[in-house]
Amino acid sequence: MGNMNDAFYERFQKRWMETTDLPPQTVGPLTPYYKLVTKRLKVMPLPILILLSLGVIIALFFLLGSGVTFLTSLLQRGF
Amino acid sequence: MFDSLIIAVYSFARSFIGIITRPYETYRKIINKGTLWELFPIGALLSLYFGINALVKAPAFRPFVLTRHFVKTSVSVVITAFLISFLLWSIGRVFGGKGQYKRFFLGWSYTLIPTFFWFLFTSLLYVIIPPPRTTHPTGIALSIVFLTLSAVLFFWKIILSYLTLRFGLKLDLLRILGILLVSSPIIALYSIAMYRLGIFRVPFL
Repeated sequence: MGNMNDAFYERFQKRWMETTDLPPQTVGPLTPYYKLVTKRLKVMPLPILILLSLGVIIALFFLLGSGVTFLTSLLQRGF
Repeated sequence: MFDSLIIAVYSFARSFIGIITRPYETYRKIINKGTLWELFPIGALLSLYFGINALVKAPAFRPFVLTRHFVKTSVSVVITAFLISFLLWSIGRVFGGKGQYKRFFLGWSYTLIPTFFWFLFTSLLYVIIPPPRTTHPTGIALSIVFLTLSAVLFFWKIILSYLTLRFGLKLDLLRILGILLVSSPIIALYSIAMYRLGIFRVPFL
């Protein structure tokens, strides 16, 4: 039982060292919002990134209209 | 040596899935526990793209022309990866960053995966539906899909680059923004030089 507790403690300590390796990020009064955003980006960020990108591109479409096709043609030749 | 390579391929596969599903935790592991052997599978993945790029972009389907194009692209990407990562790491050190360059470079190498996907997807699309896009509704719809996918990969790349600077140099957000502010004009000048030399139109960063 003692060995098991030691092993558990060692694992806990290792994990603790890992997570406290960096001081927590704060951004003054915006810290709660920063934490809210990063919490969602730390695990499986793809759905949020897809929604965000779609929003940005639709906004760009309303701004440029059919000019988005020019941007696509430019990028398609860009590789 | 063979064992190290097998372990590296396994670690790479785990990290590859990890940077999609749990980027934060995975990057901590890459920087703290990753080995330089993992650069081999990353290099192999990039070589796959360089091969496809040579087939799509080389002016003639001749072994010499294809090989020359392959070598030109791969050498340029390797040099770019070293230069950009070293630039960011050096500026990061000036900003008070701590960490070895080799660990930072390993983290930076994983940021080339979104870039790889963008270039691969653009190359394949170039063959299937070559530009220019028209202003017809189908052209606009395809443009929106293409730009959305490009933006997703771009945001993913930003997250991974941020995590490289965060874990590789142990810096906070403000200092990371400072590094980007100082390095952006240099990267822009480098990109223009690459464009003028006819190597990259969109830089493979």
